[in-house]
Amino acid sequence: MAKFLLYITLTISLLPFLAISFSPEIPTDRRVLVLLDDFAVKSSHSLFFDSLKSRGFELEFKLADDPNIGLQRYGQYLYDALVLFCPSVERFGGSINVASIADFVDSGHDLIIAADTNASDLIREISTESGVDFDENAAAMVIDHTGYAVSNTDGDHTLIASDDLIKSDVILGSKNIEAPVLFQGIGHSVNPANSLVLQVLAASPSSYSANPQSKLSSPPSLTGSAISLVSVIQARNNARIVVAGSLSMFSNRFFRSGVQKAGSSTKYQKSGNEEFLTELSKWVFHERGHLKALNVRHHKVGESDEPSMYRISDDLDYSVEIYEWSGTSWEPYVTNDVQLQFYMMSPYVLKTLSTDKKGLYSTSFKVPDVYGVFQFKVEYQRLGYTSLSLSKQIPVRPFRHNEYERFLPAAYPYYGASFSMMVGFFIFTVVHLYSK
Amino acid sequence: MARSLAGFLVLILAISICDAASIFQPISDSHRSAALDLFKPVDGSFASLEETYEALRTFEILGINKKPDVSTATCGTVSKALSSSSSTPKDLFDALRVNSILKCKINAEVFEGIISKLQAAVSGASSLHDFYYSIGSLGLIKDQTSKADLHLSDAEGIFRSIKALSQSDGRWRYSSNNPESSTIAAGVALETLAGVVSLASSEVDQSMIGIVQNDIMKLFDSIEKYDDGAFYFDEKVVNVHEHSGPLSTSSSVVRGLTAFTTVATGSLNLPGDKILGLAKFFLGIGIPGDSKDFFNQIDSLAFLESNRVSIPLILSLPSTVVSLTKKENLMVKVNTVLGSKAPPLTVKLVRAYSTSSKDTSIIENKELSFDPERVVYFLDALPDSVDVGSYIFVFKVVLHDSERKDVYVTGTLTHVQIFLTGHVKIGNAEIAVLDNDLGTIETQRKLDLAGENAVSLSANHLQKLHLSFQLTTPRGSAFKPHQAFLKLRHETKVEHVFLVGNSGKKFEITLDFLGLVEKLFYLSGKYDIQLTVGDAVMENSLLSEIGYVELDLPEAPEKAPRPPPQAVDPYSRYGPKAEISHIFRAPEKRPPKELSFTFLGLILLPFIGFLIGLLRLGVNLKNFPTSSVPATFAILFHVGIAAVLLLYVLFWLKLDLFTTLKTLSFLGVFLMFVGHRILSHLASASSKLKSG
Repeated sequence: MAKFLLYITLTISLLPFLAISFSPEIPTDRRVLVLLDDFAVKSSHSLFFDSLKSRGFELEFKLADDPNIGLQRYGQYLYDALVLFCPSVERFGGSINVASIADFVDSGHDLIIAADTNASDLIREISTESGVDFDENAAAMVIDHTGYAVSNTDGDHTLIASDDLIKSDVILGSKNIEAPVLFQGIGHSVNPANSLVLQVLAASPSSYSANPQSKLSSPPSLTGSAISLVSVIQARNNARIVVAGSLSMFSNRFFRSGVQKAGSSTKYQKSGNEEFLTELSKWVFHERGHLKALNVRHHKVGESDEPSMYRISDDLDYSVEIYEWSGTSWEPYVTNDVQLQFYMMSPYVLKTLSTDKKGLYSTSFKVPDVYGVFQFKVEYQRLGYTSLSLSKQIPVRPFRHNEYERFLPAAYPYYGASFSMMVGFFIFTVVHLYSK
Repeated sequence: MARSLAGFLVLILAISICDAASIFQPISDSHRSAALDLFKPVDGSFASLEETYEALRTFEILGINKKPDVSTATCGTVSKALSSSSSTPKDLFDALRVNSILKCKINAEVFEGIISKLQAAVSGASSLHDFYYSIGSLGLIKDQTSKADLHLSDAEGIFRSIKALSQSDGRWRYSSNNPESSTIAAGVALETLAGVVSLASSEVDQSMIGIVQNDIMKLFDSIEKYDDGAFYFDEKVVNVHEHSGPLSTSSSVVRGLTAFTTVATGSLNLPGDKILGLAKFFLGIGIPGDSKDFFNQIDSLAFLESNRVSIPLILSLPSTVVSLTKKENLMVKVNTVLGSKAPPLTVKLVRAYSTSSKDTSIIENKELSFDPERVVYFLDALPDSVDVGSYIFVFKVVLHDSERKDVYVTGTLTHVQIFLTGHVKIGNAEIAVLDNDLGTIETQRKLDLAGENAVSLSANHLQKLHLSFQLTTPRGSAFKPHQAFLKLRHETKVEHVFLVGNSGKKFEITLDFLGLVEKLFYLSGKYDIQLTVGDAVMENSLLSEIGYVELDLPEAPEKAPRPPPQAVDPYSRYGPKAEISHIFRAPEKRPPKELSFTFLGLILLPFIGFLIGLLRLGVNLKNFPTSSVPATFAILFHVGIAAVLLLYVLFWLKLDLFTTLKTLSFLGVFLMFVGHRILSHLASASSKLKSG
């Protein structure tokens, strides 16, 4: 009894800590470390920070060269996410370095990197670790002579109004971002072989990355839509990273500024930056697009217990429940493209699951007439969503000797022959013995 | 810290360009709307009296009329704070500051009580903040109650004890037992000293004021500078607190400086460019998102605008991008920092030069005309020699009233980068395929780069592709854009970018495919041609899809480089896969049922024939034993046989081999017994018959 009481006390006293920390049950980040070059950024970018605070994040602002910063203490991570708003930092203070940030992400934590024209090698290195490469030319900026934002003060067309956003409701919210997004900074490229990196905000086909002050002597290394202005990375462990080539795009000035794209007569009162970056931060901090699968069930049609093995050509039912984290609770995830594979070396059956719109996905199919050790596999990877990878092993056996078909009509002549023979034999014995 | 500070302005301001100083815009309506957003009272009041003061003071300076009404709730807090006996000098100071704006009705007796309390606090004060709050409060009471007889008894003594905290470099210490000197403290001390001077019953010794003025000069020696002409003070303390950045430090100094210069009689010879630089610093911050920073910025600017030493005037341009084609005028505004009107003055364009060649001026010494309606100075018309491009314009502000030259600081020269844009004429655009050896033209097409083009060409690796066009500025001279790219995009999305070079007016590029085959990865097929011409000063920058060229390149040798992998469309990468359904083994072919039944009938025919044959032969059972015992055995024998046969049927239907064999063994023994008996009976009967 005393032990029981002790457990209860322990659980209750731990509850507040459990509730606020990052966990699979509550995937949204809570504690965010923001590293700045200067505390003035806290004030000049306050709209972005305020939107985070109003959504319940605990932001901790530190100078990037503060000697007392660290991501973990006693092997425990102190933060769920890291925001690097320190493009010019050459060396972090404290125990933070490229390797520790990589470890931080490898353990499933999220990261926002904002670079700028004066981006240091350190920030470039962290970005490269994350899978994007900033233009190596340190003086280069993204220039767009046809897609620039009309401005009275920025005449060199480095202030870009970009509206080439990724079409993904999960990353950018279901509301369409109408106003172009203002961007002033450096471009990067994403490795085409890397399937985890996505361009969220791409430059227009006429843009290029070069030093606006000097004449071009060779073709720029980055041109056109291959230039990514903002990219996101979702690692295999569902850690999420945002890399932006501009710190000023997060600033109050850009949030509040009106925008008019060159060549277009529509003038928007407010740029799309606030909406774009708020929605993007919801995604990167796992307020959206985080899936979980529960209650994987399978059984023979008409039964309810899960068998330990199936026989070839059995009919079976498979069901799984999928929920999406909405920031506060788990909501049923509704889509029509969850697919199940019945897999042994390669999929034998690949079927789209039907949904009841309440999170339950189910299907039924006939087990193939091949025996061996199969797997039920749900590999759900969709743009912006965390990936679901469920697999359950199940053996499939062939027919037993007595499970084959009997009394085939084709064999009736043989049956007839045997039995007429037997009846004849009986009659013959009687006749043979007693006939005179 | 210094390094991060260097990045500070770059982050907040537009990127400063070349040697041109950034333009600082005075406070405008965007500040007013931001102020209303930042200072939002909760339930009719602000969190603290300090915050209330900051909000009210900001609203007052910015002249916001639609401010939230907090007076009823706040006046209650103010009178409570003033009448409470437990209020610290700081509480009193904050309450009085709020009261100075709100003008709440406070009893004269309440003030009496506070005055004595504060007087006692002044005489017992040891740290700078004690002095600051109590003297500040007394000053505020004096203003609010119009008590002319409110004096500090020992003003000079207090002055001396505050001065004792100063350091040799112009900075101050917070208290005598705190050795660390601080720039913020200097500002606080100056403000306090100003309070002491204004509260003094008699004139304070001029020499002491002179010493303090000397301190101010020394403090200004430690001022720091950004590249763009902004000056600021910064705390040199190692342990940087968040709210002691350059903004709060500079604003503290500005407050102290202006307060001191207002009361001190002697003239202070501060360099005007530093005052202007401070104003530029505060304006350069833009719109802070933090209410404290916002207040510091606005409050300091207000002090700078109303100070006695020198009022900075800010030269700003509504637009630095001027279109030559639209015949826009270059406009210049001169305002005070808070955006109010400047005294009569003239703006002169000292010189203007191209960013690429600093030595040759295009315009020199021109006076800008004044438009009294819009309160702007404008340049009537640019001379014809001025072409599109980026220029540095150097302005100078000259005050009409020479007496006020001491009051206003305008800075010596203001460098501004101006982009003169225009419509660039594109002509003689041609694309051609040339034969390699002779350079003869095989096919040639004219292009209209501003319009639509759909050229289809074909070439092999022995030919050349030649593209040329001309660019002319509105003034008729050659134009060299920053961006002139020719892009070839293969069907597989492999892209190649070439710079289009120029010779004079003519831009041309010749692609010799023989030398390019390796670069093109030996990829034959359709290449889309895209031409991009753009420049910051070109109003009609273009991105034109010219058409395509069908290239016939030789087969790739084995060691040729492979084209780089191209990005996969993310939408297709994540789409659902095609469904797979298992194809089951086809069941074995079987004869139709009818055939089986027919054959069953045929199989049964011999049996029926056998029965008919038996009947024909006339079988009988006359040999069946007549006596009861053999008859019983005979019946049992045949029942046994029938049972065995039935067992076979059961075996076929449902029994397994083991049950069948078991039963068969019993039946076999039984059959052997009864069979032996009946067969021996039959045998003996037949032998009897033979012998008999």
